[in-house]
Amino acid sequence: MAEEEDDPGFDEDLDDGGNGVDSGQGKRKRLFSKELRCMMYGFGDDQNPYTESVDILEDLVIEFITEMTHKAMSIGRQGRVQVEDIVFLIRKDPRKFARVKDLLTMNEELKKTLKAFDEANYGS
Amino acid sequence: MADPARVRPEAGRPEPGEGSCSSTSSEPAAKPVSPLDIHKDLKSFDRKLSVMMDLSVLQRSAAAAEEEEEEGSSSLHPSPAKKLKMEHDKKKEKRQKVDEDEIQKMQVLVSSFSEEQLNRYEMYRRSAFPKAAIKRLIQSITGSSVSQNVVIAMSGISKVFTGEIVEEALDVCEKWGDKPPLQPKHMREAVRRLRSREQSPNTKHKHILFH
Repeated sequence: MAEEEDDPGFDEDLDDGGNGVDSGQGKRKRLFSKELRCMMYGFGDDQNPYTESVDILEDLVIEFITEMTHKAMSIGRQGRVQVEDIVFLIRKDPRKFARVKDLLTMNEELKKTLKAFDEANYGS
Repeated sequence: MADPARVRPEAGRPEPGEGSCSSTSSEPAAKPVSPLDIHKDLKSFDRKLSVMMDLSVLQRSAAAAEEEEEEGSSSLHPSPAKKLKMEHDKKKEKRQKVDEDEIQKMQVLVSSFSEEQLNRYEMYRRSAFPKAAIKRLIQSITGSSVSQNVVIAMSGISKVFTGEIVEEALDVCEKWGDKPPLQPKHMREAVRRLRSREQSPNTKHKHILFH
């Protein structure tokens, strides 16, 4: 689908296309190809999404994570990424904020349940 | 642990006493649903689904909390401190009731899904970013190790982020009269829109306060 690449300035630090001859520097291995495909289908895309779309999404996600990490490193305790920093950065976005709170609450409950279960088992 | 994504057909049957649910469960789900309709429906699930993450834990804690509150509200003239606590408990009880209502509604809805919708729903619930790769990525940026909670939070947020982009791209695709699968031009337009709405991070422009 070469005609879709009509904006060469989109990804400045990564090379274009990604399919074809390895251009050496700057070509990162695709980290999330499989998972992203499942996710795109789950969110409403076709069962077989285009590879270029998956690539674009992966670049976007990595850019998002990189940026969040850099911002989190600069606030709160410098040089470290902590959960409180992430929650602070996300506070303006209602969806993400709610999701983080739910995930962390669920994780706490899970740990408590497992701990209680383990202690009960240990006693017997 | 029970996996909520595995839909049990008998879970859709309403409890005795929930009269309003029985009328909706007999609704036929036979009308053909396009993927675009599904993605619109799924948009509203985002919030509800986070409640359903662990049905058994929530129901168990809700049952336990209700038992405690029945004992607390039996006295006639409570002191101010106890009154505050009672109000707080009532709110908590109301919130848990709302949660339980939501859970029941979700169960009714999911039990009426078609095969394709079930597939898609399962993919939606089950897909996730690999924690190892996310941890490696964050650690390569910070240079020091990060706690597990950070990885959990980051992968959760990233999933919501991709969801926002895909949904926006599907809107763009529909608006331009195209059909899924999504093409890169839809994705780029979606990102452009999100950035202009400030829902997506944009560090290309430096903020200069005073010229």
